[in-house]
Amino acid sequence: MSTPLLELRELATHFPVRGGVLLRATGTNRAVDGVSLSVQRGETLGLVGESGCGKSTLGKTVVRLLQPTSGSILFEGQDISNLSRRRLKPLRRELQMVFQDPAESLNSRHTVGNLIEEPLIIHGVGTAAERAARVRELLDLVGLPASAAEKFPFEFSGGQRQRISIARAIALGPKLLVCDEPVSALDVSIQSQILNLFLDLQAELGLAYLFIAHDLAVVRHVSDSIAVMYLGRIMEYADTDDLMDRPRHPYTQALITAIPVPDPTRRSTRTILSGDVPSPIDPPSGCPFHTRCPHAEARCRNERPLLREAARKGSTPHLVACHFDF
Amino acid sequence: MPQRTLLEVRGLVTAFDTEGGRVRAVDRVDFSLERGRTLGIVGESGCGKSVTALSIMRLLPQPMGQIVAGTIRFEGTDLVSADQPTLHRIRGGRIGMIFQEPMTALNPVHRIGRQIAESLILHKGIERRAALERAVGMLERVGIPAPELRLSEYPHQLSGGMRQRVMIAIALACDPALLIADEPTTALDVTVQAQILELIAKLRSETGMGVMLITHDLGVIAEQCDDVVVMYAGRVAEQAPVKDLFARPLHPYTRGLLDSIPHLETPRKSRLPTIAGMVPTLKDLPDGCRFNNRCPHADDRCRREQPLLSRAGDGHLVACHHWQRIAGEVRT
Repeated sequence: MSTPLLELRELATHFPVRGGVLLRATGTNRAVDGVSLSVQRGETLGLVGESGCGKSTLGKTVVRLLQPTSGSILFEGQDISNLSRRRLKPLRRELQMVFQDPAESLNSRHTVGNLIEEPLIIHGVGTAAERAARVRELLDLVGLPASAAEKFPFEFSGGQRQRISIARAIALGPKLLVCDEPVSALDVSIQSQILNLFLDLQAELGLAYLFIAHDLAVVRHVSDSIAVMYLGRIMEYADTDDLMDRPRHPYTQALITAIPVPDPTRRSTRTILSGDVPSPIDPPSGCPFHTRCPHAEARCRNERPLLREAARKGSTPHLVACHFDF
Repeated sequence: MPQRTLLEVRGLVTAFDTEGGRVRAVDRVDFSLERGRTLGIVGESGCGKSVTALSIMRLLPQPMGQIVAGTIRFEGTDLVSADQPTLHRIRGGRIGMIFQEPMTALNPVHRIGRQIAESLILHKGIERRAALERAVGMLERVGIPAPELRLSEYPHQLSGGMRQRVMIAIALACDPALLIADEPTTALDVTVQAQILELIAKLRSETGMGVMLITHDLGVIAEQCDDVVVMYAGRVAEQAPVKDLFARPLHPYTRGLLDSIPHLETPRKSRLPTIAGMVPTLKDLPDGCRFNNRCPHADDRCRREQPLLSRAGDGHLVACHHWQRIAGEVRT
């Protein structure tokens, strides 16, 4: 098999936790703690998990907005985890990010045209006329009229603003977009429009996505494979259909059954987890999930389960970090 | 025979004075809720669902928000014309409320126990010590472990799910006849959401109270509610018993909403059906049916004449000129 577009090897991003009057480091937040994943060209890897699981930190580390503590990020086989800002710059053309809230990520004092053109200027792409043509082309790609270029972000609705940030993110023709909760701030009727846009762009431009979200139904719809994250670690990682049809980790099973199904005739049999997600500053010993797991035994409290191959479908392994088979 | 109807809203119009003039955030809304049942109010941002709840509680931001017309009958009292002492007695007493973000609703500088005891002292005239004892019982009922210890903690010491449990304990401390829950689980993780929804359902069946559940999540509606009101741009688009609404949605907006959410059975990576355009702002609402500029069935009449709610079945009301034709069409 060819080199994956993106490969993470034992990636970790830790933050010091400061406390006391002198703000001395009093602990470590292990936000991302030894994650290995890969994204193939033109495909989508979905990353799901609840708040505090480290999924956003992982996304920001991949595009190097955060510096990893250890491990490596291989982009097209090249390790980018320690590149300087200067050496990272050419990579920014290949690797872009879309955030949850376009109201925050778009500078409201620039016109939409300027915002989309900015990355082209920074990277010295084309003449002014060529760039203007590219802006029109990008607006058209994301389903906005050419007249949008003259307006300001606040003149648009949330869904349209997300289209603007997508246009900006794809301006340089990246190969990978890291999307962090790109539809969760949008209304239901607008969410499906933006999901369709992501699918269209992938089909047209061969984009790959690392699609980070908490909504498993949304992630399932757009992803070729899914990784489930809990307290900084991957609990389960498999082909999408495999994971949804036959979830093997008790956490994934609980996540899937917790989704309220919009069908009143189907009362789901639900595993309701007790308690909340523990703090990543002081994670539980052994399996990080054992404090909420309905099947936890003594071994789970003492020994951390490694991500192991529980099954295989074609060339894709179904990985699960659990001592047992469920 | 005791009255079965607990809450009856008729012709409610709530307007806001803005720089651009007066806008009607809620425009002639009717619905009712029976004891022991859960009524869901669903719609997208700006549809008026939260303003409806604030109108019922008479907690509209002052002086911009005003109830312009209509009645809200609750246990024989019209809340629209009720005076402040009556409202004080009802709010937190006969009507309990929980909101999306418990951290903004709880007082950060008071201990949990005091906040629960406060409403008991105020509404039931119980003395402090007894009220705190009752507070322990309430915390236990809403599933908070070690309630005696929690009593002396502050809201910031609790997780989001625990804070929402505390809010529920406060709301239910005085045995309300009606619980109004405005997006109670939207800020919570999905596994915690499941816990809270189960708790609300359990407490409802224990107490026989009525629940008005406001949410944007049709999944939550399907699992929790007996009846549903679908709101769009300040008006009721459709209203029906929950099974009927999902089995036979008649308003093009309801259909569009139901079709656009990805289900676990939707073919992966297939294009999702969408509703064209976006929700109009209250300042530039279209004439006639407010959904006409996004509706695939709209014609001249829809652009001219506002459709009234008409009866389409047992308890099933729809505000669409063309519902009969649409009912005959097969959904894709």
